[in-house]
Amino acid sequence: MQELKENPYKKFNLAFALMVIVPFLVFLYLLTNKLFDFNILVGNIGFILFLTLFLSLCGFYIGFTILKNIFDKILIYAAQAKHSDQLKSTFVATVSHELKNPLASIKINIYNIFAGFIGQVNIEQKNVLGLCQSIVERMINLVNGLLDLHKIEAGVADMQRNELNLAEISGRQVNELQVLADKKNVRIIKEFLDEGLSVWGDEGKLSRAIINLLDNGIKFTPENGAVTLKIYPDDQFAKIECSDTGPGIPDDKIGLLFNKFERLNAAKEGTGLGLAITKDIVEMHRGRISVESQVGKGSKFIIILPRDLRATQR
Amino acid sequence: MPEKAPPKILVIDDTKELVLGLATLLKAQGYQVVAAYDALFGVSLAHKEKPDLIILDIGLPAGGGFYVLRNLKDSVQTLDIPVLVLTAQQETDLEAKVKQMGAAAYLHKPFAPESLLVQVKEILK
Repeated sequence: MQELKENPYKKFNLAFALMVIVPFLVFLYLLTNKLFDFNILVGNIGFILFLTLFLSLCGFYIGFTILKNIFDKILIYAAQAKHSDQLKSTFVATVSHELKNPLASIKINIYNIFAGFIGQVNIEQKNVLGLCQSIVERMINLVNGLLDLHKIEAGVADMQRNELNLAEISGRQVNELQVLADKKNVRIIKEFLDEGLSVWGDEGKLSRAIINLLDNGIKFTPENGAVTLKIYPDDQFAKIECSDTGPGIPDDKIGLLFNKFERLNAAKEGTGLGLAITKDIVEMHRGRISVESQVGKGSKFIIILPRDLRATQR
Repeated sequence: MPEKAPPKILVIDDTKELVLGLATLLKAQGYQVVAAYDALFGVSLAHKEKPDLIILDIGLPAGGGFYVLRNLKDSVQTLDIPVLVLTAQQETDLEAKVKQMGAAAYLHKPFAPESLLVQVKEILK
């Protein structure tokens, strides 16, 4: 498809001038001629009228041609945008089908072998299968993360906005991760200072943002540590703070935290997409996310969302 | 008194490796399993076998999973067979859509085998 780099609107002023200002000048000339009987173009009045008419028609024709060119380019832009959207949708559908189906097949077949449904499996074989299972889980997380990111970056069109009680949706995320925290002997402390605090947003997406922060907190907190989820109102905003007693983040790494595929600790499992997705979700809700951290003491992620329901509506 | 036959499950999915995995998993739990790899064959097998449960993929060749679901729920012979829908598709409202069409449950691929077994037991209870 034709590559378009110039802005078609740039020529709009010229077209406007040719189509409007030239006939206006002709009109002005005729008016001064009539009112003040002043004619700078002394001679055959018929010839002068013919000339002015010719000039106006030329101006109109050139202006019309430029406008037509502008609209043609707009149509090409629209076609390109539509094509690009179709490519994106095809990409998502292909990724969904071509990657998720094989992953589902690998996952269930490994499970069957591991469980001994196909025959006896010794401990060493189980260990290898366990490794395969964790690799498959990593790939599944990566594919899901990429698709989520794609969906989020595709825009806010599919946001399902409702009035959400933050304590309720946060409580559900805590329950969801309680087993994981118990396994690591990490305490999750809930500090919901206003049980009725609500924002206007997409429940699925905000839940995802909260669970990402909690999951990160649990992942990086050593045994017997704690992750605290605090919710409170602050003037026109609702604040969600997730703090942990993990190793903390060095100052020079904090700027990289929200980059896609950035994994500051390669020893910990993860795709490096969780915080990028969280940031996108928060920004879709007209909010902000920041982090405070001290090496050796822990980190605190702070989400600030506007409480005014209209502020997040578009 | 003759022993009651184990519940029969029809799996309709075009990913043969997944059907193999599902069949192994379900047979290990004592279920009978029959399989179809496309929509048309799936519908005809549902009418012929009268299974106790159908596990149905949405992204199917020869008609698609929606065609199968609509067909099953439109026929008095198959109307009461519960359908567990599996899908790799991404649409946010897909779960609501298939449940509105009469599906009993919904799982997103790749699913945990344990979750599938819980759903199957729950539906066949």
